[in-house]
Amino acid sequence: MATALRGGAGFLGAWLLVTAAAFALVRAMPGDPVEMLLAAGNVAPTPDAVAALRAAFGLDRPLPVQFAAWLGGFLTLDWGVSPVTGRPILADVAVRAPWSAAIGAGGLAAAVAGGFALGFAAAARPGGLADRASRVLAVSAQALPAFAVGLVLLWLVAVEWRLLAPLTGSVAERLVLPIALVALFSVGAVARVARVAFAEAAGAPYMVTARMKGLSRTRALWRHGRRHAALTVLAAITPEAAWIVGGTAVAEIVFSVPGLSDRVVAAVATRDYALLQAYVALVAFWLLGVHALAALARRRLDPRVGA
Amino acid sequence: MIRLAPTRRAILAAALLAGTALAGTALAADPAPLVVAKTFVTQSLDPVDGSAGWALVSHGVAEGLFTVSREGTIVPLLAEAAERRDDGAWIVSLAPGRMFSDGTPVEAEAVAAALNRTGAENPAARASAGRLTFTPLDARTLLVETERPTPILPSILAEWAFPVYRRTDAGPIFTGPYSVASFEPGARIALSPNPHYPNAEARAPIDLRRVGDGQAMAIALAAGEVDLAFNLPVEALSMLRDRAGVTARSFPVAYQYMMFMNTREGPLADPAVRRAIDRAVDRATLVAAIRAGRPAAGAFAQTYPFAADVVPAHDPVEARRLLEAAGWSLGADGVRAKDGERLVLDLVAYPQRPDLVTLQPVLRAALAEIGVGVTTRVTEQPNDVASGGDFDLLLWAQHTAPAGDPAFFLSLFLGSEGARNYAGWSSGALDALVAELASAEDPAERIRLAREAQAVAAEGVPVAYLVTPEWHVGLSDRLAGYEPWGSDYYVIRPDLLPAD
Repeated sequence: MATALRGGAGFLGAWLLVTAAAFALVRAMPGDPVEMLLAAGNVAPTPDAVAALRAAFGLDRPLPVQFAAWLGGFLTLDWGVSPVTGRPILADVAVRAPWSAAIGAGGLAAAVAGGFALGFAAAARPGGLADRASRVLAVSAQALPAFAVGLVLLWLVAVEWRLLAPLTGSVAERLVLPIALVALFSVGAVARVARVAFAEAAGAPYMVTARMKGLSRTRALWRHGRRHAALTVLAAITPEAAWIVGGTAVAEIVFSVPGLSDRVVAAVATRDYALLQAYVALVAFWLLGVHALAALARRRLDPRVGA
Repeated sequence: MIRLAPTRRAILAAALLAGTALAGTALAADPAPLVVAKTFVTQSLDPVDGSAGWALVSHGVAEGLFTVSREGTIVPLLAEAAERRDDGAWIVSLAPGRMFSDGTPVEAEAVAAALNRTGAENPAARASAGRLTFTPLDARTLLVETERPTPILPSILAEWAFPVYRRTDAGPIFTGPYSVASFEPGARIALSPNPHYPNAEARAPIDLRRVGDGQAMAIALAAGEVDLAFNLPVEALSMLRDRAGVTARSFPVAYQYMMFMNTREGPLADPAVRRAIDRAVDRATLVAAIRAGRPAAGAFAQTYPFAADVVPAHDPVEARRLLEAAGWSLGADGVRAKDGERLVLDLVAYPQRPDLVTLQPVLRAALAEIGVGVTTRVTEQPNDVASGGDFDLLLWAQHTAPAGDPAFFLSLFLGSEGARNYAGWSSGALDALVAELASAEDPAERIRLAREAQAVAAEGVPVAYLVTPEWHVGLSDRLAGYEPWGSDYYVIRPDLLPAD
């Protein structure tokens, strides 16, 4: 109970710290949102017009007061109104977040499942096809721009093979390629981590015992190595979850998915503070949440972890 | 081979026949939607929100009392006429027989309620003549009083901030050729032909989608997912032009590319140096560099009747002579200098308009030919750089006549007190012409004044007009006859009719 409380307090403290830092950073970005808004509307930025909009958006108050007001509103689900679109932020996020969540969570799940299986196959036959494939995938993820890979995927699937209508089809059709793109750039890294863990297990003394019982190498590796490999992969998930935020943004833009990241890119250009702040708060929640869930799962798998 | 019993074959044949008949009926009654991809879809259906009014007009949903024709002139739309009274107020009469998409007639009371609300809540609606007050005099007549006197109310009412609408519990209702069937903010709108708009039966429903990336849009067009792609990157054109069933069309737009010169201090305070730079620029080379567009003759695209019609001459010999006469002598390093100061200028562009960044090295090479050194800089914050005067030369893209009137650009960007006088230029002659323009009512006189103002600016050269760019649309066979107009203000129009 005490551990859970400590964990919850740590989670909240970290979230608060990240959102406060982001609040300051977002406002430190060069570019005045009020002047940008007036310029976009071809309205002359007279001192009166600028002052009126500043007051209307609450930007004339000291920064700590603005943060306190934002935090209070965020926690009570009053996320304010976008000065750029005039729409409530919460409504905007509520419509878009499911797309992003589906791509992010789907991509992460596909990467973990695919990477785990590939890592196992690579460890079962070192130097084999799976081993080489996982290495190529891991290196490619570092070397290739996700945006370009996404466009090539789009070209092949939509134009050359005509398998899907990725931009105008059903929800499922529209999610397949974004999830595949996000997973593609993580699966190699997860596979290499899993391979190393399975290889460690393969050299452990209990594996010799298992083989002596008559199990094949592959079967012994799966039966006695998978828990160790799962623990290792769970530890490696948090950095992948961070990549997935960026990968989701790329996927949303390439495949024109009306998700949160797609909206955030526009919000950066217009300095839509209200939306950016809500996004940062949600991303912090996602990263801390994945980290906490991974830690919980590791504790479940191995009571020695975090004891 | 699968064999079917005779009874089953009969049932299957009947089902197929019925299915075909049903499909035929459905096709006849409800043609397949046209899929239109744009880089922007409105976030809101309420014209008082941000630039939603612009988007709604561009989407074919909303209309104003007046509009800008393809030729760049102001024409009545929901209005029939506008007349200025002696006291400066205007009487606007409404066109007969126009209806909102729910079948309600467009009457003065509804128009006044909508436009008074917009004026109160959207600052863009107060930009040109202050607050406008609309009072219904009878069902088809409105009195319009303006906070600041204006001779060009029809042009102001053609601005995107003034769509006419009727508020209902289900949201605003408009008068355009299409009405909103379903709406995903910023992402997708299903449009149905407005049954109360002339020629409604010839229109197909439209599935309007936002596709943010130009390359993805081109691929969607090539895949047959999209009937109209607005607008495409120039790099995609060669790939599309070779594909069957796809037409790519280029058209000039009113977003002029120009280069402001900071006249406040330094070498560019001297008009001779500015003139020399203007002469050194070969507009045809700039067009070749960005692979689309036309050399710009002045502040306005050629589609406007008030556009200047002579492209400034490319004359590097004259440019060198001007610089020599101004005391800038060529140094051993190929860069001119005067009193120990080298003639090196800071040329700024911004990546939101990639063409401007492409133009930077071309301009640097052109200016090097006349002994002017250039350092190039790219900023993410063009508005800050422009209003702060933090540049020598600033590349800029601007729609110079968004409501079909020349006074907007000439007063805002070139007037001594203009809120966006980025060059910091001051000319009594231009200010006088802009003041005359503010009160001139006769269209021919306005054209004369606008051209004269451009001639005055061409002498002082606070800005060099470079290129009238071209944009590109991609069309499927269903829309192969579509002709784009010179901006993104009117994309889905009443004449967007499918070939089938």
